[in-house]
Amino acid sequence: MRWLNLFKANLRKEYIEIKRYLPNTLAMIFTFYFIFIGLFAGIQFIGDPNSADTNTQYLIVNYVFWFLGMMVIQSVGWQITNEAMRGTLEQLYMSPMGVWRILATRLTSTVILDLTLLIVLLFLTMLTTGQWLHINVVTIAPILILTIMGMMGIGFMIAGLSIIWKQVSAFLQILQFIIAALTFISIKQAPFLVYFPFVKGIDLVRQVMINGATLSDITMMDYSILIINAVVYFVLGVFIYLGCERLAMKKGLLAHY
Amino acid sequence: MEPIIEVKNLHKSYKKRRSKEYIQAVNDVSFVVKKGEILGLLGPNGAGKTTTIKMICGLLIPDSGSIKINGRDNRKHRLQSLEHISAVLEGNRNLYWRLTVRENLEYFAGNRGESRKEIRSRVERLLTDFNLKSKENELVNRLSRGMQQKLAIAVAMLAESEVILLDEPTLGLDIETSYEVREILKDIVEDYGRTIIISSHDMDVIQEICDRTVIINQGKVVTDDSIDNLLRLFEVRAYTVTLGEHLTRKQLELLQERFPQATYTEDVIQSSIAIDFYQSEAIYDLFDILKIENTPVETIDRDTINFEQVFMKIVNGGENKCAG
Repeated sequence: MRWLNLFKANLRKEYIEIKRYLPNTLAMIFTFYFIFIGLFAGIQFIGDPNSADTNTQYLIVNYVFWFLGMMVIQSVGWQITNEAMRGTLEQLYMSPMGVWRILATRLTSTVILDLTLLIVLLFLTMLTTGQWLHINVVTIAPILILTIMGMMGIGFMIAGLSIIWKQVSAFLQILQFIIAALTFISIKQAPFLVYFPFVKGIDLVRQVMINGATLSDITMMDYSILIINAVVYFVLGVFIYLGCERLAMKKGLLAHY
Repeated sequence: MEPIIEVKNLHKSYKKRRSKEYIQAVNDVSFVVKKGEILGLLGPNGAGKTTTIKMICGLLIPDSGSIKINGRDNRKHRLQSLEHISAVLEGNRNLYWRLTVRENLEYFAGNRGESRKEIRSRVERLLTDFNLKSKENELVNRLSRGMQQKLAIAVAMLAESEVILLDEPTLGLDIETSYEVREILKDIVEDYGRTIIISSHDMDVIQEICDRTVIINQGKVVTDDSIDNLLRLFEVRAYTVTLGEHLTRKQLELLQERFPQATYTEDVIQSSIAIDFYQSEAIYDLFDILKIENTPVETIDRDTINFEQVFMKIVNGGENKCAG
């Protein structure tokens, strides 16, 4: 019950901030949409006309997941930096629920709200391009949840680094390109990427949304890799975060910015 | 009264930036806080007060020593210990400025796992008691500093923890708001029955609301006693001796040598010495100095002393006075 109350409090806070600062939210949507239009125009005018449809479909899925990955992975890092700067980080550390739980519920809230926005943007991009993807919710949902779990693990690692170094904005900029590489490159082209976080999940989503694969088309092996990958990165992320937290408490870095 | 916080042999040092040297911030600090007590944790800047408070809050891990909260070690049971403690560490900066007064109260309670329904009546009471009801839907960034400070204390109160730690609760407030915050703190003790630890430079606040003080200087506890005892102790020793004549140069030299803290003032007809007899036999030394020139003593008055003067004497004089 306490977990639920914690989650509700954080979901409400995130919702209030999105609603109260609507111009920011709208600016984010427009930025997303206009960059997409630019990329789409590139495929139409410069790319090979024979593969334009397939390329567009890949672009939609990859771009949406790149955006999701950035929001999930960077979100906790930004939040830690902001909280330390505002002076509220130590207050979070005074909660008997533990900060990693607060951050996990905040991340989940962010994901829920961002996914809602992304679904709107996905349909907007499909409408703009005329390329309608397979939206098989039953097949996509479990893959998506596991993929996001892996992303959250990386988010926790970034959060741990943010607690110690605080000034991680330059690193977060570079991270955007790393996330882009992991989202855009397919496992077929680089099989070793299967060990990297969330790559397998995005690959499976591509199979569902572009090739129309269903729940039964995905093998047990694929599911096993996805589950192991998600759990390993999530647990690893939380452990690294807790290690960094302990170091920060020893060195007195929680309040310093 | 049974103890709620037991701090024992606490040590903490920080590494200097870009250096291999360490600064000893807290050095063998021990004290006990009893249930329902208001303890003032005092000391000059850099004395180690905030470090001590943060270690009690579990925000800093001590190098050695232990802190027990309600009998439980706060290192081994950090999260369970936090059930008994709430704190205002950075005043108005402890709030979310983009949320309203009510939203802040509800959010922080939610972060402790409480539902909005559970805290409804408590929120209403706090909004009324802290005179924030009319501002409940106002964004925090539009409130005055005093209002923000009151809200930060209300947030700490909402947790219903037995102990509240307040680091500089009146810092940066104007006289009127400072007085209002002081009244609120008194009400917290009287009406809500909480244990409070206050760190402040505002000695009026400390003298008015604290039962006992622990004074830390250079990382060490130099005094642990009740305010009344300290005032009594220092009042007994502080005197103003009015003389019928001026002191000679030789007498002045001897006075400064024997009583370096004494202040000598003179006007046209008489002169006076403000003196602290930290040992009762020292009074004979003064009379010996006066006897050299048979300087007449007109009056000897015991000074009234406030807590700020006591604090300054303890900190500057290296006083070491710990109650048993």
